[in-house]
Order: sequence, then C-alpha cells, then structure tokens
Amino acid sequence: MCGIIGYAGQSGDTLDVLLDGLEGLEYRGYDSAGVALSNGDLSVCKREGELYHLQEAVDGGLDGPVGIGHTRWSTHGPPSDQNAHPHTDCSGDVAVVHNGIIENYDDLKADLADRGHEFDSDTDTEVVPHLIEERLAEGATFEEAFRSAVGRLDGSYALAAVSEDSEALLATRRDSPLVVGVGDEAAYLASDVPAFLDYTDRVVYLEDGEFARLESGSWTVSDAEGKLLEKSVSRVEWDAEETAKSGYDHYMLKEIHEQPRALRKCLRGRVDELTGSVEVEALEGLNPGSVQFVACGTSYHAALFGAQALREAGVHAQAFLASEYAIAPPPIPDDALVVGITQSGETADTLSALREAQRRGVRTLAMTNVVGSTAARECDRALFIRAGPEIGVAASKTFSSQVVAANLLASSLARRGDAREVVQALRDLPGQVQELLDSSRAEQVAERFLDAEGYFFIGRDYNHPVSMEAALKMKEITYKHAEGFAAGELKHGPLALVTEKTPVFAIVTGNDETATKTVGNVKEVEARDAPVVAVTDGASEVERYADEVLEIPETHPRVAPVLANVQLQLVAYHAANKLGRSIDKPRNLAKSVTVE
Amino acid sequence: MTVRAAVVLAAGEGTRLRPLTRNRPKPMLPAADRPILEHVFDALIGAGIERLHVVVGYKRDRVQDHFGPTYRNIPVNYVSQDKQLGSGHALLQARDAVSQEDGFLVVNGDQVIERQMVADVLDAFEEDDGNATLAVTEQADVSHYGAVVMDGDRVVELVEKPDTDEYRLLNAGVYAFDPSIFDAIEATPRVQGELALTDTLVRLIEGVDAEDGDAAETGRAAPGDATVRGVVTEELWEDATYPWDLLDVSRDLLLHGRVTEPEREESVWVADSATVHDDATLQGPVVVGPDTEVRPGAVVGPYAALGRNATVGANAVVSRSVLDTDARVGPNSTLLDCVTGQGVALGADTTVPGGPGDVRVGDTVFEDQRLGAVLADRVRAEGDVSVAPGTLVAPSATLHTGVTVSENINERAEVFR
Repeated sequence: MCGIIGYAGQSGDTLDVLLDGLEGLEYRGYDSAGVALSNGDLSVCKREGELYHLQEAVDGGLDGPVGIGHTRWSTHGPPSDQNAHPHTDCSGDVAVVHNGIIENYDDLKADLADRGHEFDSDTDTEVVPHLIEERLAEGATFEEAFRSAVGRLDGSYALAAVSEDSEALLATRRDSPLVVGVGDEAAYLASDVPAFLDYTDRVVYLEDGEFARLESGSWTVSDAEGKLLEKSVSRVEWDAEETAKSGYDHYMLKEIHEQPRALRKCLRGRVDELTGSVEVEALEGLNPGSVQFVACGTSYHAALFGAQALREAGVHAQAFLASEYAIAPPPIPDDALVVGITQSGETADTLSALREAQRRGVRTLAMTNVVGSTAARECDRALFIRAGPEIGVAASKTFSSQVVAANLLASSLARRGDAREVVQALRDLPGQVQELLDSSRAEQVAERFLDAEGYFFIGRDYNHPVSMEAALKMKEITYKHAEGFAAGELKHGPLALVTEKTPVFAIVTGNDETATKTVGNVKEVEARDAPVVAVTDGASEVERYADEVLEIPETHPRVAPVLANVQLQLVAYHAANKLGRSIDKPRNLAKSVTVE
Repeated sequence: MTVRAAVVLAAGEGTRLRPLTRNRPKPMLPAADRPILEHVFDALIGAGIERLHVVVGYKRDRVQDHFGPTYRNIPVNYVSQDKQLGSGHALLQARDAVSQEDGFLVVNGDQVIERQMVADVLDAFEEDDGNATLAVTEQADVSHYGAVVMDGDRVVELVEKPDTDEYRLLNAGVYAFDPSIFDAIEATPRVQGELALTDTLVRLIEGVDAEDGDAAETGRAAPGDATVRGVVTEELWEDATYPWDLLDVSRDLLLHGRVTEPEREESVWVADSATVHDDATLQGPVVVGPDTEVRPGAVVGPYAALGRNATVGANAVVSRSVLDTDARVGPNSTLLDCVTGQGVALGADTTVPGGPGDVRVGDTVFEDQRLGAVLADRVRAEGDVSVAPGTLVAPSATLHTGVTVSENINERAEVFR
C-alpha cells in the first residue's frame, strides 16, 4: 500500500505539511518515504525504513512553496533508497510520485533508454519524469509536458509531479483515488483524507482522467482536453482517524483483534504439515553452534521464549538485554548466531548489540516487522514477522508474531525433537486466537480487580516470559504497578508483597510436573488471601484454587504462551480503558526507542 | 453527477442462518472461497466506488478485523448501529457520513452482487437526475424478498414477502439515492419499533410526500407519479436465507467462476500457498483456499469450496460442500452436502452421507432439503462419527467416538454413545 501527499501554499509550511501528511498515512505502514520540494530549484530526499529516517535526513533543510511526498509499505522484497519515491528525470529537474501500476512501462522504458535516458530504479514510475523531461526539452510548458506524458501511460495511477521551473503541482488519476484539500491560503493533495485532515476538512474529489493544478494556495481542475471544470467542494463529516482504527476505540484493541490475520501471514508458506517441516528461506543453511538473542522490552520477552525453545531443541541459547549486551558483551563463539529481535528494526540498543556482534565477525539475524529497516539491512539475514503496521505504542500483535517466528527459528535449527506437532499446533493457532477473542471474559476480570494495589503474574518454563510480558503491558498502559516472574521465585521474596489487594495471575497450561508445581505456588498465594486469576487450558486442577478463570484452548506447550498472552493483553487493555488512560500513547513512552 | 460513495448495510445477524451466525454476522459467512461481503466490496470497487461506509452492528469486530482500515487501497469507514432496528434505521446511522454527497449507493452486505449490476444502477441514477433507483432481478422464488412490479423503467409496486406466486421480479438490494432519502426515512412510521428501508420505498412509489404524514391508500400508483426507477439486471445475484442455501450460493459462484484464486485447470482453482498432494484428486468445479492442505488419496469436488488453512486428510471425500477456515477433515472421512463453520475438527472416518433430509429451523421443519449437515464453528468429532441428513450441530459441540447424531445438537453439547 502506498500513499501520496502534496502541498502548494506558503514556503515555510511545505515541509511540515508533507511530513505531517506522511504521518497521517502512517496506518498504511512504511518501509520507505520521500519528499520533493520546488523552489526554483528542486530538492529531493528519500529514505528506507520508518518515517523518522526521512525526518532526520531532511532536518528542516528543504524549502519551497510547493512539494510532494510518498510512503510505501511492501511485504515482499526489500525496498531501497533507489526504489523509493519521488522519482526524478536525468537532469533532476522533475520529480514524480505515483500509486498504481503502469502496464506499458517496459516499452516506454526501452524507448527512453534508446534515446539516452538513464534509470536509477527498477520501478515503473520512473518512466514518467523522463517522459516529462523530453517534452520540456522540446519547449513544452510543464503542464503540456505532464499531460503528454500521462497520455502515453496504460494502467492505473494516481500521479503528482513538481518541477524546478514551475511553482505548480500537477496531478491526475485513473483507477486510483486522489483528493484535493482546500485550505484558506493553501491547497493540498492526497490519496486519502487523513493525510491533510489536520489542516482542512474541505475536499474536492478528482475523477478518472481529470487533472488538478495546485499553485500558490489555489487550485483548478480540468478535463483531459484542458477545459476547466466546475467542481464542488464538500466537507468531510466522518472521522477519518476512526477509519484508521477500523472502527475500534484504540489502535491497541484493533491490533489485538488483528492477531489471527497477522499470524496467518507470519506462517504463510513457512510450514508444511504434510511433511511436518518448517521451511523458512531466511534460515536456510544456518547451523550455528549456539544462539544469542539480543532485544529490549517486549521483544526481550520473545527472546526469552526463543532461547528456551532452542535449548529444548538441543541448541545452546541465551537471551540478553540488548542495552547490557552492548556494554558488557559475553564471550561470543565464532560459530554463534546473534539474533536481534526488534519490531521496528530501529531500536538503538538492539542495533548496537548487533553491531558489537558484527565487529567480532559473528553472523547476525534480524527478526523484525519492517522490511528495509536498519536491522534488516545491516544483519546477514532477516526473518520478517509480517505482522503489518503496529501503531499502538504498547506492542500486542507483534509479540504474538515474534513468538511464532521464534518457534519457526527453533524448529528450523533443532537438533532433536519432531517439528510435526509444533507445525500442527502453529497451523491451528490463528483459529484458536479467534476462538479466544470470540469468548474472552477478560473485560469482567479487569473490572473486578480495577482498584487493586498491584498485579502479579507468575508462570514457569514457556509461560515465564508471558508473565513478564503481561506485567509490562499492565505497567505501560494502566500506570499501575505490576510484576511478572518465574512462579518458583515467589517464595524467595515477592510473596511478602502479596495481599488481598494484589491479584495474582497464574498461567498454567498442560498437566505435567511443571503445571503441578505452579498449582502449588497458587496455593501459597491463596493462603495469603490474594485473589487468583488462572489463565489455563483446563488440563490441571488450578481452577479449583482460582477466583476467576481465563480459558484458553488446549494446544502444544510451545504455542500456548501466545494464547495465554492474548487473554492478558485484553485484561491490560480493558483495565486501562476503564481507568481512562491514553492507551495508544502512554505517558513518557515512544513506539520505537531510537536512542540508547 | 458521479457517484463515488456507498453505504453497505452489514449490521444484521441473519438469524435464519443460525447456528452459523453464532460468532459472526451473515455478511461474513462463506460464499465459495471468501465472505459474502468481500464479493459486495469487489462489486462496488469494480464499479468505481471509492468511499466505503459500512454499517456494522452484530459481531461488528468480525467485519472490522477482516477488512481493516482499507480494502484494496480504498478507505473503509465503519458506522455503528448499536441496536438492529431495521434497514432504514441502519442507513440513518450513515447520514453524517454521506450527507455531503450528491448521490450515493446503498447495498445489502449479505447478498452476493456483481459489478455490472452496480454500474447499471449508477448509470440509470446519474441519467435520471438522481431519482431513487434500485436493481431488480428475476428469480423463480421471490417469496422471501420484496417483489417488484415494473411499468417501463418505473417501479410501481413493491410487496414484501408476497404470499402469492404471481411475482417474478425482486428487489436486489442495490439502491442509489440522494440525501433526501434520510428525511423520507425519518418520516416513515415505525412498525413494531423498526424502520425498514422498503417501507420508505413503498411511500416513495406511492407518492407520499415526506412532509405529508399519512400513507396513501395502499395499491398501485399511477405510473406518472412513481418516482422510483428500477433497473432490471440479469447479472448473478445470490442470497442465502437458510443454511443449506449456502451450498447453492457456492455452487453458482463456482459454476460462474466467481473465484479469486488462480485457475490451475478448467474450473479448478487453487491458491498459490495451498498444498495438494500429487495423489489427491480435485474434481472441478472446486476451489482450494490459501494455506490449505489436501493429502494423498483425497477426492475434493465437484462443487466443493475449501476455505483458508483447511486440511483434508488422506482418502477423504469432500463433495458439494463448503468448508470454512481452519476446517480439519480426518482420513477416510466422507462429507457430502455439508456446510461447516470455522475451526471445525473432524476425526478419522467421519461420515456425512448427504441430503435430502428434514431440517428444523426454530419451530419450522423443512422437509427433504438437500443438506448433509451444518457443523458450526469449532464443532469437534472425535472419529467414526456419523451425521444423519439435515442435522444442525451448534458451535463447540463435541461428538465423541462412534456416535450417530441427527436433528439439532446444542452449543457446547457433548454427545456420547
């Protein structure tokens, strides 16, 4: 999915409007973004990765009364600076952004190349600035040249162009949306209203074959022959921000609900139940002597899980906090693989840990959500979790996808054990998450313990990372004290804090020795009059000691943590919502932490 | 005038399709390889619609989760109808969303329509200066729908659920209106608290002014007065009233090739991410959804639609059936005339020998319907289970080893031998 933004108005505002516009399209996701501003001189800046790369790169340095911008989110294949929009001609005088597909670009490109044009990218879009350039060289005006170029295109497109020699922004469309925004002293252009909604709610919808000309704050629309058209201006009454949240009150709840879909994407083409095998291209041929995970926050909890799964599969593995690893790295064997888990691929602490590993000549793997992010580019390999854009600051769906990706990694590197059961459980997982979302009692549980003094989360083995993640989620969005730890640690200290005012959430799955031991811990808690919430598949007898039960479907122990965590995501969400917290943007927190 | 906005009514449960609607509304039930509503969105976008407003209510999260904030790069705006008080009431919820449009489409989200039908209504509406316009389709049985009588291109009579069989044309649920429709809806008297859009249409047809309280005598309006235009279309139009209708809907869609997966050979559509063993047989028309596995010796089709991430075990036979997302069919099972919900898990040797059978929906028994069984979301059969024709099994029921079930099985029931 791509997005276009354009602006013609006051010189000092252009860059801000374009960058805000790109942010307004954020829910469509990013893996690259770029802007072009014209000021009698054309300046273009584009970057791979998240928007802040572009923001840093331009640093307020571009100026001009007119400009265009573009974002792109690809799920396949790496983006690059070259392939990012805007695209320019040979002279760098004309810049173009485009949504859609130009079907005859092969022919056009070959013709242009024959006539000496040079191309920087593999994109279909790049033919457009060169076509404009040719007509300009023949003496045509910018608008004549733009119309002539568009006349030669087959396919679908929304196009916008600026030129060094003009203060006009030109745009047109066929089978791809484009909207003009009408301001007091400025005119806007976008593929979607949220891009400029902060500035104006008055819009003109362009039709196929129509051309818009935006210039020093005014706008005109004409037909293919150049005849000016009367267009009506309408006001957007619906809440465009609500649209971005797909009808949910918060991005976080939307993202929690997206998990079945996100997990299906994470698994697509990577597991084969018929052969019981895991086949991940990014992991082919890897056979490390040991694995070291580096990560921060939620990703660190996924790393703890991954290390445990690998150890069980007979591979020596450890999880490290990236901020500690970078400062005091452990010995790294030559045949080790260092895996950095970072949703954004931009987490500064994780990047420095990975760089430390690379300095020592060790192979690195990025497990990330963003194609084209720094981690994905710098590491030897990249395993994409394919969760789609996550806007809520508190990670939800990306944790689930990280745990699934860690499972793929563990089964793929396994020295022992049969992947078949895990593969089967992974294939069932998206449907089971849906089952849980259809029936969860998390809201009632959150309500019941809303005035608690603190929350404790306990679990053993694979459920230990979940207890930590659940506590982190609770802290992040409710601002209440919460702690998660291995159930066995309870009596070595934290039990002193347990009272009737501190509910204890116990994650107990299966009915083996581990489960029995956790149930023992639950009894200790119950004896201190603390309310107990069991998060369980019902296999053990933990329900007998619980005040509330959050049910999860039965599954393989390597997969159950995802389900338990979804229940606890919902508890944290509903608690924060009832407390009126700023769920999507908790105080003091940022989505990706790009400083150490 | 160019119409670029549409309101899609997708808030109703579709109670006659229970137990399949336990966890999602009717628009999200499967029609061949994807939900009904996806066919509707595709038809609208294909006809040039760029602003989608979807009225959601019953189990709204299922609609929102499936489509998200944009579908095929078009923004999707969700409008909430908290209480389902009829189609007119549903449309009123979208009043703010489209009040600035010169004209807009309104379509039912729970019936499969085609792009050309939408385009024809748009053309007629645009050339007729924005008079209310609706699509009309000819069907053998109109008894569950709004029957339409035309005079030239005008609709002169609209009769909901007629009890005579003299009608052949029905209201296809695809309308074009201008914003004056909202005043007309508000002026329409509620019937038992509900506002049906068709009641408003009847008033328009009969020439009752919005301001002018009482409805005129019911009856045929003089053609000159009729203000509602009808566009008769021969395009594919599909609706499911009862669970077994879903089998016919999928069959028709397969016959007409209304499937999005790539066509591997004539009438055999298989998603790229699906795995079909070389020793399995696909008999067209058949569609195999993404991530789905078909194991050695299995025979799938004809008229079978396998949804996303399903598994058909070795030597199983699945024919004239719709299997939804995550279905697991054990080895040696036979499923004929079967509709499943999501996450259904059937053990080895499950047998659904197929219709006809008697089906009980609510208090009514429908005799001799061609229905093997409806197995709703997350029904589990352990193995060697037989299901008599016409059986409806409600969600999360467990059928233990060796049982034979018939008639209606309750939600979460455990059936032992």
